[in-house]
Amino acid sequence: MANITKKVSWSSRGDESGAAGEETPLLNGSEQSRPLRQMSSGSTVFQIGRLSTVDLEEEITTEEQDSARGRPKEIPHNEKLLSLKFESLDYDNIENQLFLEEERRMSFMAFRCLEISRWVICGLIGFLTGLIACFIDIMVEQLAGLKYRLIKENIVKFTEAGGLSISLLLWAALNSFCVMFGAIIVAFFEPIAAGSGIPQIKCFLNGVKIPRVVRLKTLVVKVVGVIFSVVGGLAVGKEGPMIHSGAVLAAGVSQGRSTSLKKDFKIFEYFRRDTEKRDFVSAGAAAGVSAAFGAPVGGVLFSLEEGASFWNQMLTWRIFFASMISTFTLNFFLSIYENKPGDLSNPGLINFGRFESEAMEYNLYEIPLFIAMGAIGGGLGAFFNFLNYWLTIFRIRYVHRPCLQVIEAMLVAAVNATVAFILIYFSTDCQPLGPDQSEEYPLQLFCADGEFNAMATTFFNTPEKSVRSLFHNPTGTYNSLTLGLFTVTYFFLACWTYGLAVSAGVFIPSLLIGAAWGRLCGILLASTTSTASMWADPGKYALIGAAAQLGGIVRMTLSLTVIMMEATGNVTYGLPIMLVLMTAKIVGDYFQEGLYDLHIKLGSVPFLHGEAPATSHWLTAREVMSSPVTCLNRIEKVGTIVDTLSNTSTNHNGFPVVVQVSGDDEPAKLCGLILRSQLIVLLKHKVFVELARSRLTQRKLQLKDFRDAYPRFPPIQSIHVSQDERECMMDLTEFMNPTPYTVPQDTSLPRVFKLFRALGLRHLVVVDDDNRVVGLVTRKDLARYHVGKHGLEELLLAQT
Amino acid sequence: MSLHRYNLGLLLIILNIYSLGLIDALNATASDSAANPLQAPSDHSHGSSAVVSSPVYKPAVDSSYWINLLSSFPDDLEFSEYCTELLRLFGQRYVAFVNCLVPAARPVRVCQNCSPGYSSLSEVFLNISSDKLGPANESCRDSILRSDRLMLVFLLYGSLDTIWKKSNCKQCVTTDLTGPNNDTLYYLTLLNQTITCFEKYKEGNHTELCKNCKNAYKGLNDLYSGMEKNSTLCIDLEDSMNMTRKLWSKNFACSLPREETIPVIAVSSFMLFLPIIFYLSSFLHSEQKKRKLIHPKRAKSHTSLMNIQDKQS
Repeated sequence: MANITKKVSWSSRGDESGAAGEETPLLNGSEQSRPLRQMSSGSTVFQIGRLSTVDLEEEITTEEQDSARGRPKEIPHNEKLLSLKFESLDYDNIENQLFLEEERRMSFMAFRCLEISRWVICGLIGFLTGLIACFIDIMVEQLAGLKYRLIKENIVKFTEAGGLSISLLLWAALNSFCVMFGAIIVAFFEPIAAGSGIPQIKCFLNGVKIPRVVRLKTLVVKVVGVIFSVVGGLAVGKEGPMIHSGAVLAAGVSQGRSTSLKKDFKIFEYFRRDTEKRDFVSAGAAAGVSAAFGAPVGGVLFSLEEGASFWNQMLTWRIFFASMISTFTLNFFLSIYENKPGDLSNPGLINFGRFESEAMEYNLYEIPLFIAMGAIGGGLGAFFNFLNYWLTIFRIRYVHRPCLQVIEAMLVAAVNATVAFILIYFSTDCQPLGPDQSEEYPLQLFCADGEFNAMATTFFNTPEKSVRSLFHNPTGTYNSLTLGLFTVTYFFLACWTYGLAVSAGVFIPSLLIGAAWGRLCGILLASTTSTASMWADPGKYALIGAAAQLGGIVRMTLSLTVIMMEATGNVTYGLPIMLVLMTAKIVGDYFQEGLYDLHIKLGSVPFLHGEAPATSHWLTAREVMSSPVTCLNRIEKVGTIVDTLSNTSTNHNGFPVVVQVSGDDEPAKLCGLILRSQLIVLLKHKVFVELARSRLTQRKLQLKDFRDAYPRFPPIQSIHVSQDERECMMDLTEFMNPTPYTVPQDTSLPRVFKLFRALGLRHLVVVDDDNRVVGLVTRKDLARYHVGKHGLEELLLAQT
Repeated sequence: MSLHRYNLGLLLIILNIYSLGLIDALNATASDSAANPLQAPSDHSHGSSAVVSSPVYKPAVDSSYWINLLSSFPDDLEFSEYCTELLRLFGQRYVAFVNCLVPAARPVRVCQNCSPGYSSLSEVFLNISSDKLGPANESCRDSILRSDRLMLVFLLYGSLDTIWKKSNCKQCVTTDLTGPNNDTLYYLTLLNQTITCFEKYKEGNHTELCKNCKNAYKGLNDLYSGMEKNSTLCIDLEDSMNMTRKLWSKNFACSLPREETIPVIAVSSFMLFLPIIFYLSSFLHSEQKKRKLIHPKRAKSHTSLMNIQDKQS
């Protein structure tokens, strides 16, 4: 035995615990010498009684049969796939002996400190999120100001001298250049940072571990990317990325270290597991919403609606705290930036302005009008999603190389500039300059002196400012032709833009489209009746239209109502906004899913919705589960474990641990569950029974060792096990979860589903009457069922 | 109350204080009041050089019955002579200022014509509203401005003051509100040049006008834009510029023509064509991304979808 330890040649790359750690292998294995019985993966296969012989054959010779049948092994990407690269988060606590020991050691005081540090972390999350929002806001304002001033000067020069096509080229080139930079960092460095990030955060909060979604690198790419895409004049907003940024910050801050920067502050070590991290991520998302819209309550409700399946009062209160701090921080720093320190009136990135004038009041007879507008918004939103769906499929299939993605983004930016320029050039809608100079970059072009081009105020500005001017400019600022043209072009531009490899949100474009046609509605209403000009204030209808369009596209309900209410600062608008969003959702859902759900689906993410698909009660765990299950013995041979983990075709993460009751012929019974990550840590620290015997001094493996490896456990390939060590044994008793959740074979799908949703399970063992493992249910097994056009359908698993 | 209580029931004596610096030759209303037996009150910094005079004045003389009614109040509530005088002065100047404003409404000449009027009016109001005590330890602020619900004097002055503030005249006149400042004068010269030019070429073809007056107009326009940025504009200048611009753009139609339609369309159709090429080429040349299907281990066969449908039917 001593021989073995001499020959140990560990190349534990991640292990920097020092020479002492190397010399004294960690030992938890019990000394008792048990008959070591090797179970090869073949022998641990549990075939289920119900299997027919045909099925058995197929199990064994899958490859041959496939080729024989000519069944396509590769199919084009579509929405009915589940990707293998996504894994579940471990929300369930692993109550192994180490955990119990640690809990015993911790004093009451320590638990109180934990609670306090949770609050501290939430405060930090809010503060940092607010700072980032502030940074984005200021950068966008400065850079966009620079760009627009440059182009404006150029246009003014060339309007007189001739050569406006050069201005057009300059505008397009500036746009493309900015977007190129933004797209390169996204496409080449961190593709997960593309888009608004809300679908990804939704998945994360749902319990899906999206690779690299909460890394520091993602945050940097996201923030820089969004600045460049907004400055690049794309039809995008900076609100969605803000939510993602908040979530990344939360995930980073709560761990007290950065794996990317290799910096460990040695704080908050207790929170280094999925359960705690996910709670903080929901706080971060809330803080992001709150900073983006100045809507702290809306942020909390966003987390509640979109994400957290796991929720309690204290968590809500903490999340609210983070939200408030975030909006306050943004407010405070923006007031300093605007040289009015202490004036806390800039609560969000987007400020809808105040709707308080008398014309902004609404009357009972306007409610049906609002509802009709909601229906229009739902229809338009569904159309938007439909177009974007096909575009996204095309992009996934054909535009998947990074350089192509960058070129595409640049082209979109150039076309944006071109379309805007054409519309501005041919627009004959001239309006006198307002006394308050609300237009930041008024373009005169061919208008009379002292007037400006009304089309230019919508296009020649950052989208946020355009939204605000649509809401608040006095009646008569835009004529209906301008608004109609703007709505149509911006609709298609925004639809085309969403899904590009740039970091960008869809909130603001939706609001802008809606505000434009809403204002158009208001103007038309006012023109139909002579007295209508008294009540049909276009700004009010612009707001309702914006709500309808946004609701029609993203289909959020409660949180969106509150966000809009808080952003307008007017509680009396609660009722119309709610009605509008309701109608928009009902009408939109009739045709097409919401944009975020669509993208989650297209991303092949195993997303669990709130309820099991209807009419699925007849499905039992027996049909749902994966089987046969690769099990491990309680005292297992190292070689077997390494082989099991190294098997690339089966990338399992949880292994039921079984124990032999008596004799060799009796099937083994379930006694626990162990995760891949735990096994890897055990292998890395060589916790072998034989080594334990040869050592006098033993350092017991602690929970801390598992936490230190979290969240990036090394792959099995990086752990080398010599031939001698392969013959050693490992005792899993102390580390496995001794009480995994189990269900009998006849449990219905909705019951299993509920367990997963409510407890946040990752593995659910299906056992027979004698507590023998017959199958394992994971997230992917459940997520593959969904209600399609022809009733219950099943998604296919694919490697992506 | 600090009303003086001696000389009850007898002749009312007003202590008037002359201030030498006050009566301004330029001040039209002031010279009006100089014809009166009454003199303008002054601020109390000149109190040491005060000359006391005692003009006779009966409040009931030129009042109607209403004032008679008022006069029946007990003496200590009565309005002092000093304050009555102030009030009268305020009225005079008020009327003068309004008389000046109304004709200056169109075309707007508010700042050029009426600045002195505002100056003298605000002077009186300052006297009324100052909390410093007058001669005989009196302050008219409370008795004139705050004694009743209506607060008429305050309202009257407030409305004119709003007009003044809105007109932004302060930017265009000298600090003592006597006349236009240098910037304004320069602007007016340019304006006159432009208008003269317009007059000269008004007859006949406007293209001639557009060509010949362009320099003058452009100079004026640039000056105006510069002043706009410094916010040294007042309503007079804004209005005159507006009229000039209207003449230039609408009447004489000298705006820039939309000439380059063809190059703009050419460039933009090229730009719009690029994405079509891009998508076509990526569709034709880029290999389609395929997904490798994985066959999950199942207790039942893979074709469980078929089973689903079997079971459902």
